[in-house]
Amino acid sequence: MTATTTTRAATGALQIPVRPRSWPVRLAWAAVAVAIVAAFWDLGIEWSKLASLPSDLAHYTRLMFSDPDWSKLPEALYQTWRSVAMAWTGALLGVVLSTLLGIPAAQGVGPLWVRLPLRWVFAVIRAVPEVVIAIIILTVTGLTPFTGALALAIGGIGTHAKWTYETIESVPQGTSEAVRASGGNVLEVARWGLWPAASPELMSLGLYRFEINVRTSAILGLIGVGGIGDMLTGYTQYREWDTVGVLIIVVIVVTMSIDAVSGRIRRRIMEGAKARDLDRSA
Amino acid sequence: MRQHTTQPEAEGATPSASVPWPIALDQVTVRYPNGVVALKDVSLRVEPGEMISVVGLSGSGKSTMIRTINGLVPATSGTVTVGPHTVTGLSGRQLRQLRGHVGMIFQHFNLADRASVYQNVLVGRFSHTPTWRTLLGSARPADRDIAMRALDSVGMLEKVWQRGGALSGGQKQRVAIARALSQEPAVMLADEPVASLDPPTAHSVMADLQRINQERGLTVLVNLHLMDLARQYTTRMIGLREGRLVYDGPAADATDADFEEIYGRPIQVKDRLDR
Amino acid sequence: MTTAPQLDIPPRPRTWPRRALIAGAVLVVTVLTTTPALGGVEIDLDSIARNWGNGASRIAMLFQPDWSILPRTWEPMLETLEMALIGTAVSAALAIPLSLWAARPTNPGNPLRMAVRFVLNVVRAVPDLVYATILVAMVGVGALPGIITLVLFDLGIVVKLVSEAIDSSDSSYMEAGRAAGGTQTQINRVTALPQAWPAFASQVLYSLELNVRVSAILGLVGAGGIGRLIDEVRGFYRYDALSTIILLLLVVVILIEVASNYLRKRLR
Repeated sequence: MTATTTTRAATGALQIPVRPRSWPVRLAWAAVAVAIVAAFWDLGIEWSKLASLPSDLAHYTRLMFSDPDWSKLPEALYQTWRSVAMAWTGALLGVVLSTLLGIPAAQGVGPLWVRLPLRWVFAVIRAVPEVVIAIIILTVTGLTPFTGALALAIGGIGTHAKWTYETIESVPQGTSEAVRASGGNVLEVARWGLWPAASPELMSLGLYRFEINVRTSAILGLIGVGGIGDMLTGYTQYREWDTVGVLIIVVIVVTMSIDAVSGRIRRRIMEGAKARDLDRSA
Repeated sequence: MRQHTTQPEAEGATPSASVPWPIALDQVTVRYPNGVVALKDVSLRVEPGEMISVVGLSGSGKSTMIRTINGLVPATSGTVTVGPHTVTGLSGRQLRQLRGHVGMIFQHFNLADRASVYQNVLVGRFSHTPTWRTLLGSARPADRDIAMRALDSVGMLEKVWQRGGALSGGQKQRVAIARALSQEPAVMLADEPVASLDPPTAHSVMADLQRINQERGLTVLVNLHLMDLARQYTTRMIGLREGRLVYDGPAADATDADFEEIYGRPIQVKDRLDR
Repeated sequence: MTTAPQLDIPPRPRTWPRRALIAGAVLVVTVLTTTPALGGVEIDLDSIARNWGNGASRIAMLFQPDWSILPRTWEPMLETLEMALIGTAVSAALAIPLSLWAARPTNPGNPLRMAVRFVLNVVRAVPDLVYATILVAMVGVGALPGIITLVLFDLGIVVKLVSEAIDSSDSSYMEAGRAAGGTQTQINRVTALPQAWPAFASQVLYSLELNVRVSAILGLVGAGGIGRLIDEVRGFYRYDALSTIILLLLVVVILIEVASNYLRKRLR
């Protein structure tokens, strides 16, 4: 009895601070919520379609995967190889271009009047999808895989050159200063100061670019430059779902395998770099 | 109607009325999957309401031992009994129920830095709260009340809406104590609670634990590696060395020779908090 | 006989075989991928030279944007933004539980975690426009297939990056929740969620940026948005109009990037 009353009293005496609320933050959240609802409203999505979506998906999944047309497999593999070839060539070209353009764009390497315009160019390229780049250049290069590779290379500059200069800027200043102190010029600083520290990361990023390109190259096929995307558009338009099923399986398996192998190599590169760092510090 | 029936229960549980539990370890051995034997054939009985310290160097098995009591580490062989529960072999809901009655605080406080102090303390109410209610994020008024009072009892109520990460080490450990208290536990476990704190803060946290033991009558088991803290704040002391129980007696009577036996080496300056 | 004091030079680690191997591998793959007979890319500089006169004049049109198309861009551009926003919102809502299930600290149970990760890897392996192409054939032309595409695309990215962030962050607070008798779901809701919030918010903002870019091209296959207009003007080689659309896209993308960078800083 007394125990309860004392705790009661204690509860009453508790001075619980008022929970701080930030009105601007709440308003911002409310605005986001309103925007989302308004967007739903304005798009006028047919709810009946949404309701029948699960059964539609199940229906088409069955059409695609219950009895895939495996006779199309050799053709699918060949077209996938063409896409991968496009991705590799595009990655190689893109990495070379990005390295050439990215290094002068790094702080501490190029002067401001070089850095700023370069960074602007990268930002502009980043905003333009590869497909649009391909559409632009195909008037000159035609509907060929080479167009795809070029589009990947040019489109890749946007992000890859950015990664390149960010990587170089993240290299500790010590080594390049040491090279400069022993009388090295800009090229020697790049070769002996920046390259050893930045190259594992750059190589890893280059492989990552290839992984991204494998996906994008399939997309480029949709506008007709060849490869698996081309084949996929065709068979989807003819609604030959049993073939589409095969194509999707091939895309998934090939992409995941390339991701797995490339991911393993990237990890080896980065771990090797770490081990060498340890050697050096020991 | 239903609310009326639950209300007295909730209130009946809120004061420090929980009865302390005894703890018993019977020939407990713990072998980790990597083959390391952390605890060898330890038998021990802790009476309800005792304040007991477990002393040993790091790697002596005291962290493992304290974790067998709430089942965070399962005993490979032997039996652990806490109050009415046999910990060995418990799993799922029953294990969580047992843990709900056993409060625990840690060397590194184990607070969620980005969650508020309030949310961190509500963690102590988990075993008394249905999962769906936690998911909805609405604590019962009774739970909220318990959390606030637990914070108040360690003098941290004014920080209730701050982030866990914004606190100092001593404040974090106080919040962690409040978190354990809000469980309304029958047993309190503390794994090196002051090893990350500066000496004055360490003393005040140990004093908090002592107060909890005396005022609430909880069974308290503290892992320590410092001899003077064990002597000053606890009544009984257990010594562990390489996973074996090598000392069991009143803490105040433990001589320097006893500590050298536990440590397995001569006493060094770092074995005392107050040098 | 005088013997010079022996210098104990450690053997130089042989790095050149490794380098030669890497260079060789890159060379071989490059040769294979550029041999037309093997299905590789034919680097055909001749045709570029031949088409130059014809193509260059079209590309030159890019530098004379045709502003008259601007009024026609508002509506599809708004649609693109709306699709991007809805795609982000829906995927964010779905990504919360999925990220927690895909990370080891928040889901120690192996089978479910592996299953979630595997499914998401599969989802990520299909390129966005491929989803759009197939979904348009399934549910018809419009914004709906576009939104579904964006949701799938975002889920792959957000769940992967957030669950990796949870994996690599300190999760000692888990032990406290477990010691207090909490279920994994309770621990995740009260402590893991606030801990993962910055990573989550930052990835969701990133996916919003990506969505604007992706949804700009979804219209090429009939999935709504500004891509419809791109498809139309490219059919007529109206590169002056294309230029206007690209500039508009540029402005929108950069605005969203600036806004999301600002928010990301505030969320820390």
